[in-house]
Amino acid sequence: MPRRSALTATALVVVGGLLLTACSPASTPAPTPTGAPDPDASVAIRLVLEPGNLDIRQTAGAAVDQILVDNIYQGLVSRTPEQDIVPALAEDWNVSSDGLTYTFTLREGVTFHDGQELTPQDVVWSLQTRKDTPDWRDSARLANVESITAEGQEITLALSEPDSSLLWNLTGRAGIILKEGDTVDYQTAANGTGPFVLDRWRQGDSITFARNDAYWGEPALVAEVVFDYIPDTQAALNAALADEVDVVTGFEAELTPQIEADGAFTVVLGESTDKGTLAFNQTSGPLADKRVRQAIRQAIDHDAFIEALGSGQTQFGPIPSLDPGYEDLADVAPYDPEAARALLEEAGAEDLELELTIPNFYNTTIPTILVSDLNEVGITLEVNSVDFGTWLTDVYTNRDYDLSFVLHTEARDFENWANPDYYFTYDNPEVQELYAESLAATDEGEAAELLADAARIVAEDSAADWLFNGASVVAVGTTISGMPSINVNERLNLAQLAKSNG
Amino acid sequence: MIRYTLTRLALLALGLLIASVLIFFTLRVLPGDVAQLIAGVNSTPEQIAAIREQLGLTQPLPVQYLDWIGGVLTGDLGTSLWTGTTVASEIAEKAQVTVPLGILSLLIAVLFSIPFGVISAMRRGRADGTAMSVGAQLVAAVPVVWAGMMLVVVFAVWLGWLPAQGFPRAGWQDPGAAFRALILPALTIGIVEGAMLMRFVRSATLQAVGQDFVRTAAAKGLTRNAALIRHGLPVVGLSVITVLGLQVAGIIVGAVVVEQLFTLPGIGRMLVADVDARDLPKVQGELLALTGFVLIVGFLVDLAHRAIDPRQREAS
Repeated sequence: MPRRSALTATALVVVGGLLLTACSPASTPAPTPTGAPDPDASVAIRLVLEPGNLDIRQTAGAAVDQILVDNIYQGLVSRTPEQDIVPALAEDWNVSSDGLTYTFTLREGVTFHDGQELTPQDVVWSLQTRKDTPDWRDSARLANVESITAEGQEITLALSEPDSSLLWNLTGRAGIILKEGDTVDYQTAANGTGPFVLDRWRQGDSITFARNDAYWGEPALVAEVVFDYIPDTQAALNAALADEVDVVTGFEAELTPQIEADGAFTVVLGESTDKGTLAFNQTSGPLADKRVRQAIRQAIDHDAFIEALGSGQTQFGPIPSLDPGYEDLADVAPYDPEAARALLEEAGAEDLELELTIPNFYNTTIPTILVSDLNEVGITLEVNSVDFGTWLTDVYTNRDYDLSFVLHTEARDFENWANPDYYFTYDNPEVQELYAESLAATDEGEAAELLADAARIVAEDSAADWLFNGASVVAVGTTISGMPSINVNERLNLAQLAKSNG
Repeated sequence: MIRYTLTRLALLALGLLIASVLIFFTLRVLPGDVAQLIAGVNSTPEQIAAIREQLGLTQPLPVQYLDWIGGVLTGDLGTSLWTGTTVASEIAEKAQVTVPLGILSLLIAVLFSIPFGVISAMRRGRADGTAMSVGAQLVAAVPVVWAGMMLVVVFAVWLGWLPAQGFPRAGWQDPGAAFRALILPALTIGIVEGAMLMRFVRSATLQAVGQDFVRTAAAKGLTRNAALIRHGLPVVGLSVITVLGLQVAGIIVGAVVVEQLFTLPGIGRMLVADVDARDLPKVQGELLALTGFVLIVGFLVDLAHRAIDPRQREAS
């Protein structure tokens, strides 16, 4: 039944799409907002994935970070969509030349949404509790922090060894500042310091934020933001065409002509750190042979994914272009089916049969291209489409897979290639050493260079294949301004969002 | 009648008990668990184990079952593992969408199937009767998803008369908007279910035409159609009531599909999301409530049937 209905749904999307195209007038350039921003506006944003609950301390998943970090909860520092680190609850900060002492000056006059004041002690408590509670997300990211102390508005973090990733980590979950002793039910409610307050969560439907009128910084430009969770792209397109949403994130670029048809939306493409990762289980079997892995990489026409998705760019190593340490590694595994066949023959691995385990919410284009490309060089690929819960058990926990596809959205997550216990099953001491050195570097440029060296080795080892570096595809209503367009799957800072009345 | 009711009631209770066991243990066959989903990618086995412990998932299954069913008997359907909200309150909230959707679908199905079913039976052998009958066959075979898509394309996207998806955030505080949001989804279910029902009405009507009492009435001077309407249709109505009971299950299944398609925040969509999230206590609470509802409707239909139909009463 689910398989059939999925098939029917796909067929319908195609048919529906054709019908829509048939009746759309030619695409016209979208006008820019001309009216004045309306401070009473409510903006509806379509998102794809709803968080299971709102507990920023414990619940995993980009869906939580995407809406809550920056908008509701804040840390001492934050990051811009361009991935620069900027002040947030700290006005300013200072790093000692040996990289062992971080000093932050905490802003005064900051209050939580419930009216309580933010004190230096709240900062110390939040970071210390995060570090000491392994069940909380990213607590290990504070492992090098030895002590956290406050004197007046000065917060000092003393490190046991330099950690070039610390500031970055403080912009994420590891650095979230909560009120000490707060009794809020974090699963369904929130109490932060950000420009928006959580107004209402209608589970399975929408989450509404309202402007925080007591915000310490520039107040938000809209009265209300509503996140409408609409998983199906066609339904989202219909909602946009029927004026029910103002912004559609996670849009599919190939549907651009349809949404732009009546001039009410413009599709904006932004970079992202989404990495379409084809993992190889290389602990044993044919994939333990580097030649086989290299052959698979060379058998895959990476441009075909970009073309089929209508967005994104190719990526041939573990680091995407937005992250430090990126370099173009296209020379490592160029598309060459002939070379792939030769490598397979050399490895004695002709007529290989492999299984691809893929969560069922991804576009079917991905397995389709893989099956046909690999078939071309004599590899039979069986596609095992599973729900995410099953994927987590089979692939992530039990490592029971040959090939696996998942979109890894996190920025700066190279650490997984330096962790032999991760489901990638990649174990190279040289890479682990380089990564450790990069963390210990006190100079940003040096840290990035060491990461680039490590990344090249990972790519040359064919530790995995990277099918594409996704783009953020956002359809923005022409009355909307200040909508972020970079890496929106991970973070969606709405402080500048505005809606004009014209 | 009392003895019959009591026996029937005991059967209902037994049915619910069996359903609870089936629901509980078949769900446990699903791979993957909620602790893993909460912990997510980049979690350590220790983190997953800690969450599992917190949620009480480390207890043996029979203990978990008894915990659950004990709660159900005292009126507690359980709580969500993800959010800690009670299943009963979630069902009550989502029912505000699903129940009106179901009633509206049923109304559409009935309003459409009974006249067309009767007319197509009375016009059997003629071109229009055959066309109606073939049309019903075709519509009944249409997948609900496709019917819904077509309705959206025509009424929401082309004509812009009705919303394409979603439910107003104000809910029933804005009754007009809420009602409008339900029209296309209810039509989607109602037309497909109605087409099935129409085929049934047609054959029941044809059967009634052949019954002795209709022929007797006709022999006493009524026209064939008048005899059918006066004496045949009450019998048809009776069997339609029985089928409507079964139809309720069909409408619930339809709601699961249609709520996805129209992103309506109802019980069907909640159920699908909860299965994906492996929120098993919530799923089993929801399934038990739905099963209970269908069984109770069946029970009431049986009682009604018996109370109305004199032939059954005499038989007991």
